[in-house]
Amino acid sequence: MFEILQLEFMQRAFIAGIILAPLLSVLGSFATLRKMSFFADGIAHASLLGVALAILVGITPFNGALVVGVLFGALVFLLERYTKLASDAVIGILFTTGLALGIIIISLQPGYQPDLISFLFGNILAITWGNVWVILLLSVIILSVVFFLFRQITLLSLSEELAWTSGISTGYLNLFFYILISISVVLGVKLLGIILVSALLITPPVTAKLITHSFRSYIFFSVVFSLLAFIGGLFSSYYFDFPSGASIVVSATTIFVIILILKTLFYAQGFLQKK
Amino acid sequence: MNTNVIEVNNVSFGYEKGNEVVKDVSFTIPEKSITMLIGPNGSGKTTLLKIMVGLLEPTRGDVKVYGDKPKNKRGNVGYVPQKLYFDQTFPITVMEFLQFSHKGAGDDVIEALESLGIRELSQSLIGTLSGGQLQRVLIVRSLLGKPKILFLDEPVSGIDVGGEQSFYELIKDIQKKHNVTVVMVSHEVHLVSRIADQVICINKEMLCSGEPEKALLPEVVEKLYGKDVSLYKHHC
Repeated sequence: MFEILQLEFMQRAFIAGIILAPLLSVLGSFATLRKMSFFADGIAHASLLGVALAILVGITPFNGALVVGVLFGALVFLLERYTKLASDAVIGILFTTGLALGIIIISLQPGYQPDLISFLFGNILAITWGNVWVILLLSVIILSVVFFLFRQITLLSLSEELAWTSGISTGYLNLFFYILISISVVLGVKLLGIILVSALLITPPVTAKLITHSFRSYIFFSVVFSLLAFIGGLFSSYYFDFPSGASIVVSATTIFVIILILKTLFYAQGFLQKK
Repeated sequence: MNTNVIEVNNVSFGYEKGNEVVKDVSFTIPEKSITMLIGPNGSGKTTLLKIMVGLLEPTRGDVKVYGDKPKNKRGNVGYVPQKLYFDQTFPITVMEFLQFSHKGAGDDVIEALESLGIRELSQSLIGTLSGGQLQRVLIVRSLLGKPKILFLDEPVSGIDVGGEQSFYELIKDIQKKHNVTVVMVSHEVHLVSRIADQVICINKEMLCSGEPEKALLPEVVEKLYGKDVSLYKHHC
């Protein structure tokens, strides 16, 4: 049954995805509540500049994307905080600029750039054991930090004013949160691609919100749905020869549609009461 | 009179340069008293309260809470905003919200909910609460931190018409039971003398300060709200 896991590239993709799915869904649970979906999308696109710069100087594109992703995340935070510009305007300007600079730099390189295509759409074949170890290490660190600061991040996501009066250093925690999201998005880019990564950050938490009545169950179901989306997407990608990133995203959307329909039917039947 | 726990010295504040919403205001707040900040809409009451809480920094002057900057005294302060702006679909129960607000909060959460008559709301999502229920939850949240000072910004803004007076009585009871200093922004001029030990009238500048019977003179009320409003009319 699990013949696909006997292939080494599938083993790498499976391990990377099993780690990344909970990471993206946990951070996405907070990001969607804070209306930061566009931020995640922006970081993913801007990271192309890091890929291009890395190709230019001959370092691993993944590392270049990580550095640029973190820098863009911090820059968005600072511009939001210290200018009167709207958040979506700041992100819109920065991410298109990052993407544009990335395209210009790559266009200066001769020949076909396989790294570029794999970053745009994700490519499980391109995941190396080195990538898996980086993903594992950073994911464990980020999830540990989120677990440790769970109470503070939840309050911050609910109301910055209340979080501050609860003794939380909201400025530092906000910056820290932006950086954590930026790193996680770039880690996810390797699997899903720049264009699709934000789907795994957004769709599972939004699906979970349809059926949960407490914050802990919201996080729990976000993780469950993201794991189901990843496994379902990976299997369909293998058996139907679909692109892996796109399969995972469609799998997440399918789960969302099923839960939405079931919820609507249960309401119609009177099994559930509206929240 | 008790010792002063808050000192506001020549405080001015403007959100934009050259447009001050609070101008050169000075007063003190005695310990374990109830002080009401009154004034018309846009008079700078909420801004002044936020400066005392530490959420805003004055552009001129300074505020001392227990002799220190407000932001260093956050642990001594409970704050109930006029309106909590949050995603109404935020999937968090009242119990979780209170436990997350105060590390280590356990059985005392239920006790505190019960004391404000809202124990049955513990498993409700906060986005489903009415304005009055949410205000009570926010008061419980503040009290769980065992504050010495409780700041309330228009606490009856979400309360049904007719329920304001009983809500103010509840705040008076809380003040006595928890032995706290209460500072609140209010529109209810007619209730000031029944509730407050001290009133501060503000319309960008300070127009009065002191015991309500002595400070809240008809001419001050007229200056605050215009000729058509008088204390007599408020009493009706």
